Amino acid sequence: MTTSPVTAPPTNGNGSESLLELRNVTQIFSSGPVWNREHNYAVNDVSFTLSDKPALITAVAGESGSGKTTLGRIMLGFQRPTLGQVVFGGQDVARMKGGERRRYRRQVQAIFQDPFSVYNPFYKVDHIFTVAIARYRLASSRDEARHLIEEAISGVGLRPSETLGRYPHQLSGGQRQRVMVARSLLLKPQVIIADEPVSMVDASLRATILETLRALNTELGIAILYITHDLTTAYQVADNIMIMYRGHVVEAGDVEHVINDPKHPYTRLLVQSIPMPDPTRRWADMRGVNDPPFAGIDVTPSMCPFVNRCPDAVSSCIEAVPNTYALERHRIAKCFLYEEAGSVSDADVASYFSNRDSSAINDDVGEKM
Amino acid sequence: MAEPVLSIRDLRVYFNIRAGTVRAVDGVDIDIGEGEKLGLVGESGSGKTTTALAIMRMIKPPGEIAGGTISLDGRNLVSLSEPEMRSVRGNDVAMVPQAAMNALNPVRRVRDQMLDGLRDHGINESRNRMQDRLTTLMSQVGLGANVLNLYPHELSGGMKQRVTIAMAICHKPRLILADEPTSALDVVVQRQVIETLEDVRSEIGAAVILVGHDMGLMAQFADRIGVMYAGKLVELATVDQIFSNPRHPYTRLLISSLPDTAGKRRLQGIPGLPPSLLAVPPGCPFMPRCPEAMDVCGEVIPELVGEIDMVSCHLHPEAQAA
Repeated sequence: MTTSPVTAPPTNGNGSESLLELRNVTQIFSSGPVWNREHNYAVNDVSFTLSDKPALITAVAGESGSGKTTLGRIMLGFQRPTLGQVVFGGQDVARMKGGERRRYRRQVQAIFQDPFSVYNPFYKVDHIFTVAIARYRLASSRDEARHLIEEAISGVGLRPSETLGRYPHQLSGGQRQRVMVARSLLLKPQVIIADEPVSMVDASLRATILETLRALNTELGIAILYITHDLTTAYQVADNIMIMYRGHVVEAGDVEHVINDPKHPYTRLLVQSIPMPDPTRRWADMRGVNDPPFAGIDVTPSMCPFVNRCPDAVSSCIEAVPNTYALERHRIAKCFLYEEAGSVSDADVASYFSNRDSSAINDDVGEKM
Repeated sequence: MAEPVLSIRDLRVYFNIRAGTVRAVDGVDIDIGEGEKLGLVGESGSGKTTTALAIMRMIKPPGEIAGGTISLDGRNLVSLSEPEMRSVRGNDVAMVPQAAMNALNPVRRVRDQMLDGLRDHGINESRNRMQDRLTTLMSQVGLGANVLNLYPHELSGGMKQRVTIAMAICHKPRLILADEPTSALDVVVQRQVIETLEDVRSEIGAAVILVGHDMGLMAQFADRIGVMYAGKLVELATVDQIFSNPRHPYTRLLISSLPDTAGKRRLQGIPGLPPSLLAVPPGCPFMPRCPEAMDVCGEVIPELVGEIDMVSCHLHPEAQAA
């Protein structure tokens, strides 16, 4: 691990300020006996900056095992990366102590997938608020604390009288998840890392929770990392997206471009597999066509990680790992198909993200139906 | 519709607990035709899984089938004895479970588990014939014969789910019940599993009930969709009708809450919560959350009526009169 001192917070290509930054982060999980150790790259040399000026929502998408959750855990400081640094406010998170560490913990909050397992079932839901208030000394009196909690709960569309004083099992799954969002609201962090926040919630509540997240971002200027396997919610919520495959960021850029005009063969496969809620747009029949030429090959770390599933693979894909190429101003892809575009000049994925200029939200819901 | 394979009439499944009677399924009527694909959707607690379990007669105490009939090819499953029902399960109706990892025995090879399923239903042939059967089943779900030698932990989530599909079709059932078979899988694998289900369905000509809450998956798979709310069917119509012209306000709100990739828009949830099934309000169960509720909705329970596209809502008196 490098021990060089961290330089001042740099600005990335967008001229925005870095807040939470991954610098060449690699996470290796090893398993098996010492004489036959297997090394699994959960995150493979990823550099990425979350900035709060402007604060954007960035989605991280990929299948299970792609490393998206590990990336989130590293940014939360739950996991110390094998290589590389996590930098918050210009300081290396691994070397933070006392007050600095507390500030980082407060400013970077998590929302998890399972809204039940994060609660201690023996305490009322109030507990997660009172602990946070005591820990970060947010209130000087009981009344002030009560006021803060009620404000936060109302902020996510719940009624305090129906929520506080209850045990977690007395709330529905959607309510529990919204209480977790309320806790983030109470702390007013700079960053929220939301790992599959709606995958266990019913469709009718999913929209409400995602809108609340979007409001936290636009109204309070909280930068959000939205980790998901669901490309449709990523498209609706996020400004930019990173597609991960076996620890590599294989494609990244403006969400509108990436989802509606995917370039990397893996992103194409993902987008083609989305079950669209529209019977007139059924899955195209892909069986039999475009079989991967290198199906069944044993993928080694010196090949493109997607080579065994890629319908467009050529011999160079098994000879080397492709570089990341800059296709457009707001698009990068890690695939030899785009070699001519030239390698990226900045390793930071976020320097190819767009600000929220192109993502005007169409409020007219009825139109679609 | 031709003679239905399965005909459910006024099905009621109640759970008697200390606090009262939970009406998990409360008067459901469904007909499913030969080889038809029916999607059953609803929020958690709407009764969709309970309906599927009732068809298998697998409701556990304190729950019970409190009323109604479930006719499979004219035979009422509700009145069968437990030994008779045992031979119906697997032979005539098979289930693809939600969590494939929990459905397989972790300490036995796939081959042994599948042989159990065959022998238990009276198929006991020579070793070679059995091996042929298993190999055929595996290829039907797109797996190689080598998978038979593996233990469940050596399989990926999608492969495990395909093994459970292979087990479900080994007696060529008339009806397959699939309860959220892909809820733990990512989109690419999900698509492969659903396509596998479709392949085996058309091969053996079974009808399928796909239970789930993913409207996208339903749009891809189903011929007809039944929308459940608070233990009742509120709409039952062809997939095109449900998506292009949903008539029940709940269906309409459910569909408008779905994210898609055709332009960003404000996502709208459905305000409020489903009613407690211990004390369902009189009248239409959706009334407290319905933006179009009228006086009559609080008093009279609307009936599910219509010819092909059925809806249970006072906003559609033409359907009510039909």
